[in-house]
Amino acid sequence: MNAVEAENLTVLYGEQPALEGLTFNVEEGETMLLLGPNGAGKTTLLRTIAAFHGEYSGKLLVFGEPPYKARDIISYVPQSHSLNERVPLTAIEVVAMGSIYRGSFLHFRIPTSAMNKAKEVLGFVGLAGRENRLFRELSGGQKQRVLLARALMSDPRLLLLDEPLSALDPSARVEVTAVLSKIKRERGLTMIITTHDINPLLEIGDRVMLINKRLIEFGKPEEVLRDDVVKSVYGPLARAVKVEGKLFCITGDAHIYHRREDM
Amino acid sequence: MIPEYIIRAILASITVSVLLGLLSPIINMKGLAFLTHATFHSLLFGAVLGMVFGLILENLSLVMVVALIVTIIVVVLIAELEKKGFSSDSAVGIVASFVAGLTVLSFGVLYKVMATRPYFPLSEDIVSYLTGEIFLITLNDLLTLVIGGMVAFFIMLLLYRDFLYLSFDPEGLESYGGNSRAYLMILYVLVGGVGALIVKTVGLITLQVVAVLPGAIALMMSSDIRKILGVSLFLTLGVELSSVVLAYFTSIPPSGLATIMLGVIYGALLFRR
Repeated sequence: MNAVEAENLTVLYGEQPALEGLTFNVEEGETMLLLGPNGAGKTTLLRTIAAFHGEYSGKLLVFGEPPYKARDIISYVPQSHSLNERVPLTAIEVVAMGSIYRGSFLHFRIPTSAMNKAKEVLGFVGLAGRENRLFRELSGGQKQRVLLARALMSDPRLLLLDEPLSALDPSARVEVTAVLSKIKRERGLTMIITTHDINPLLEIGDRVMLINKRLIEFGKPEEVLRDDVVKSVYGPLARAVKVEGKLFCITGDAHIYHRREDM
Repeated sequence: MIPEYIIRAILASITVSVLLGLLSPIINMKGLAFLTHATFHSLLFGAVLGMVFGLILENLSLVMVVALIVTIIVVVLIAELEKKGFSSDSAVGIVASFVAGLTVLSFGVLYKVMATRPYFPLSEDIVSYLTGEIFLITLNDLLTLVIGGMVAFFIMLLLYRDFLYLSFDPEGLESYGGNSRAYLMILYVLVGGVGALIVKTVGLITLQVVAVLPGAIALMMSSDIRKILGVSLFLTLGVELSSVVLAYFTSIPPSGLATIMLGVIYGALLFRR
């Protein structure tokens, strides 16, 4: 079954197209990596699927329903820097937020069941014992894991992740990728992940979609990440190479994208 | 024996402190200082318009009602502009400039109406809206303040966690099934409503400071939400009550004293950092 199905999808900001005529599908349980230069429309695509943008033309279905009807089964994980960390919420309070809003308006107290589930999910993402730490005092990798835990609270079928590795140091990227890999392995969720840093994520990506407002390439990583394609998107200094059986993409600013052939 | 007007002033101070003590941290965390500023200025337009109606209909209790209605219309307009994609600052700027123009126009109308009713003590009322006259509030004013304050207090209490989540991540709240727009609208109306309720007590000129600084100070002093609320509440209460006592002995307007005290505390904390 298709988790996401788009046909000739176009999104306009005023009169400017943010996305033009995208046609693609994401199968249930699949992890799709969404790549493209800045301003390519990656976040717009995620937000359209998450029903934040109501206005689009063409066909867009999430598990056979229009996005606004499928909101209960979609979890959107924003870029962590878009959050207002002046608000002194603890990790468990942030996670609980993921499940208390369906069908209720007042939340004077967080229900015990939600707190228990939040504790369990925090354990799943490797943050047991840090429930009462302030969100803003956590490291970048821990914050991202808290947001992933929050996204899991509503038992979604589709997880949309906007740059989950941005502004993280290499060890934090490994931490977050390990959690994403665990989610894929143990929960079998469909994931769409936008990223500039494809390096660690190639290990979990089933297919790669390259866009620049329009669809450029769509397929398995080794089919998409060809030398000519990488150059056309990231500039003439970018390259796609294979070293010791692994696929690498090297861009002008020395980011290395790789995929193990044996995965 | 304590004069009755002092008891009224103390009761009004306690009500104002509870309302602003709770609201101020949210105003700071949500970044609503500019909106608060514009909203409170729209109260002046509402008050002047209310005086015009009050004079024509010979019922000055209309002032607060009209001020409240105008303020709510203003915050709803701001929220609608935000919904249409304007940034919060732009929405506030557009509405505030419109309101400022209307305020000047309404003063012109008020002077014309006042000229027809020379024996009405209106000039005093305008000053009380600008500087706050806590010693002049009547029993009716106090009753309105307490009853309205209780309604605002319970709404705030019930929705406080939602306002925190709204401030933290409005899109996340929306994405997990919450109605960000509804919470935002309620918060804006609360800010406007509380402003309208307490404007005669605190005064327009100082309202902004008393609404923003206690929360800002509390946020500098703690990271625990319960402590933040406690500091904000007790600070507002302490400053409001001591300004009433000082004003009684010195005959200086209490709202001015409260503002100076809060400014000194905030400045001292900044220097200590």
